[in-house]
Amino acid sequence: MIVNNVKLLVGGVQLRDGVTTVTDILGKMFVRAGLHVLAMEKGYASTIYGAHQYDPMVISDRPPLSYGDDQSDILVALEYDTNPDAPGQPNRDTILRHGKNVRDGGVLLYDSTTGVVDTADLEARGIKVFPLPARQIAQRELKREVVKNTVVTGALLRVLEFDMDYALFGAYLDERFGRKGKEIVELNMEAVRRGRVVIEQILAANKWDGCNFKLVPQKVDGADLLVNGNDALGMAAILAGCRYYAGYPITPASAILEFMERHLPRYGGRALQGQNERESIRAALGAAITGVRSAIGSSGPGISLKVEEFGVAGVAEVPLVIIDTQRAGPSTGMPTKPEQGDLAMSIFSGHGEIPRIVLAAGTVEECYTLAFEAFDLADKYQCPVFLLSDLTLADGRKNLPEKYFTDNRRPVTRHGLVREAELKNDGYRRYTLTESGISPRNVPGIAGGIFKMSGSEHDEAGMVTTDPPKRKAMFEKRMRKMQTYLKEDVKPPQVFGTPDGVPLLVGWGSTKLPLLDAQARLRAEGTETCALHFTHLWPFPVHLVRPLLQRGSTVIVVEQNYSGQLADLIQQECVIETRRILKYNGRPYYTSDITGGVRQLLANGTRVVRVGDRAPAAVLETVPEGD
Amino acid sequence: MSAVAANVKIWEQNATPKHRIQWCPGCGDFGVLAGLKMALTRLELVPHEVLLVGGIGCSGQIRNYLNGNAFHGTHGGALAYALGAKMANPDLTVITLAGDGDTLAIGIENFVHVCRRDPQVTLIIMNNGVYGLTKGQDSPTAGLGQPHEEYTEEHPPFVDPLRLALTCGASFIAQSFSGDPKHSAEIYAEAFRHPGFAVVDDFSPCVTYNKFNSYDWYKEHAEHVPAGHDATSKTAAWALLDDFDRRGKLPLGVVYRDERRRKAHTRLPIWDEELAKADPAPMFKLFK
Repeated sequence: MIVNNVKLLVGGVQLRDGVTTVTDILGKMFVRAGLHVLAMEKGYASTIYGAHQYDPMVISDRPPLSYGDDQSDILVALEYDTNPDAPGQPNRDTILRHGKNVRDGGVLLYDSTTGVVDTADLEARGIKVFPLPARQIAQRELKREVVKNTVVTGALLRVLEFDMDYALFGAYLDERFGRKGKEIVELNMEAVRRGRVVIEQILAANKWDGCNFKLVPQKVDGADLLVNGNDALGMAAILAGCRYYAGYPITPASAILEFMERHLPRYGGRALQGQNERESIRAALGAAITGVRSAIGSSGPGISLKVEEFGVAGVAEVPLVIIDTQRAGPSTGMPTKPEQGDLAMSIFSGHGEIPRIVLAAGTVEECYTLAFEAFDLADKYQCPVFLLSDLTLADGRKNLPEKYFTDNRRPVTRHGLVREAELKNDGYRRYTLTESGISPRNVPGIAGGIFKMSGSEHDEAGMVTTDPPKRKAMFEKRMRKMQTYLKEDVKPPQVFGTPDGVPLLVGWGSTKLPLLDAQARLRAEGTETCALHFTHLWPFPVHLVRPLLQRGSTVIVVEQNYSGQLADLIQQECVIETRRILKYNGRPYYTSDITGGVRQLLANGTRVVRVGDRAPAAVLETVPEGD
Repeated sequence: MSAVAANVKIWEQNATPKHRIQWCPGCGDFGVLAGLKMALTRLELVPHEVLLVGGIGCSGQIRNYLNGNAFHGTHGGALAYALGAKMANPDLTVITLAGDGDTLAIGIENFVHVCRRDPQVTLIIMNNGVYGLTKGQDSPTAGLGQPHEEYTEEHPPFVDPLRLALTCGASFIAQSFSGDPKHSAEIYAEAFRHPGFAVVDDFSPCVTYNKFNSYDWYKEHAEHVPAGHDATSKTAAWALLDDFDRRGKLPLGVVYRDERRRKAHTRLPIWDEELAKADPAPMFKLFK
């Protein structure tokens, strides 16, 4: 019997089958029962209807280290129709895609409305198969097709031996449908029972005791929140004092815009859906110059369109938080697939050179904490601050106690914003040269302080100039802010383990969890490593990173892009050779990608391992001698 | 010195001194500057409550030639910055000053949608038919008044900002001529007071690169909107434009004016004490 440790994968046809309806209900119930939920690899398509969708979820009584590999314990296939390519046969899409990854001794539950699927190969591996005509039960017996997912939920609760008295499910129904009337609640209750009956019948017919899985509720002190990275970011932005947000619909950043449109007005703020990516960032800059904490959010293609404005923000010294929930590029790329390909763009995009700060979240928690930091840094340094997230974080859900959010809330302090009393008449200069590079910032509407701000080169008063000494002084003032940042605010990479003499596993972004999981697995195999996770990527803290990297035996950078953008950055800044594990096939990193890659790198002189085929494939890249 | 003249001086502080202004002698933009100072003085506005957003080009420099807060970013971006600033702080008088290229070519995406959004922002298009600062290339308003029988992709017919604004739903549409700053000042003042987006197309001759649309040419072709014109009627506005076109004339004055019903907004919170009290409970509740 496996208790409180299961990976469930629900698959089906997008929009039609209600994959996330099932995982949303179950996720809420598990969290309310005090269990931990980690669902980081929501697989969906860049079309609305008809493509395959799947949503794996790890459920455990301890916070799971990561979502692991592409294996699952329990597979649920919701397709109820016939195979579009072979009419007369049931649609087996989910079973074909994920059946091979179900662990021996696991469970397959599928909708058998259009017929029974031949699953002999799975049964041979000890997998218990439950054909469940969920749609048929809903349509014919309960006369409401829409409750088919409730039938599946009922069956799953039985498989998981969870909430067998329906206390949690009943409470959920009351909350969700209570206002719509008793009948809907009862209909769903009946549907959940019907699902269970089918499972009981199959168990009895096969003389099985159960499915070998059990979820036991844990003691709870107030239910946790089940949030994804976008939710965490949105909440943090509002609590950090962001009162103007602009975006343009783009996957996977749209959810932040929708969140802000819904919530910002309640906190006295405004959210704008721009008519294009440029209107969004320009309006956000306009709001920022009036003193409002302002942010924009987009993903790769949208960020590309905004590049010219980064220069404006840099030279005119307008604080702006730029959220980039990265997805697979270049160009339109794969809009609903994860990648970490925008690091170089965040650091280097645009003509000329500007001061800018680049942060990257590695977990849902860091989406929350770094958002506070991003707004503070933007205020203090009056420059664009990039906050990188990625699709895995944007859509990946996990539970966190409410206390986490309240404990990590930072009070809002408006650095450097000049108040009326501090302004001396006639003496105010928007770009006063200072040692730190930071000039006191005023807002329009206050007597005694008039500003002239410009993306053209300017003097201290903001008047346009091309005078060489003035240009030099102003350029240096702007860039000096980055020296101040490196002295006062930069943070070193998080270090897990002791770096001395062992291989260093270096990562950024959502690879953090699989990286730590891989470290634990390698340790169990007898290979000690040290993991380094970067959150503060630019300006690059060479003084903190180089000494750390020099202590390891070799530097292995694990990234979800083709070239190894962090690895290049480390080589450029620290002049230390890096080796790379790279994945860019549109799937998140699985722990085995990293363990396999590390084994290969350590076994031979390989510099780059490109993973993402079934087995990690090594590419031996020739190293130019003496170059 | 009269009181009015003294007050005009306020608009010359925190600005490039007159003798340092870098426009060609005779540039129409001098007329716009004079009209602006008159209008700002007449309305008794104070510089620290004014935000001037300049476009890229000769015209955009005007933001530094008079007092008031000023912002200047990308080519074509002026209206969108103005939109964000006004949304954030409705107490500011926001004036966008940009050329015809900035507004109707590279920035037309903003022009079209800001007409729809209708923020209380004034746009003065300093229209001269050329890209002056890059030495005289055709702008989208090039060809005004010139007989043209055949067009090519390279040289299409000109854009009429008034007709475009009317189509896009602007709520105040007027035209002025920098050769008559007194009249311009009246139009600007009305635009600043209009509780919505006000477009003023100002003919501001480029004496260096547009030899065709000269002061004399404008004087010959411009004509005031007749006193009886019903500016609140869209039908009357179209009819007026058609009538002037037929006669080969350019209307000066308010062509269309319609106050939209709007939801009032206050300044967005910015200070620590305004932001400290945010209660996260309603957001937390969503995720339980």
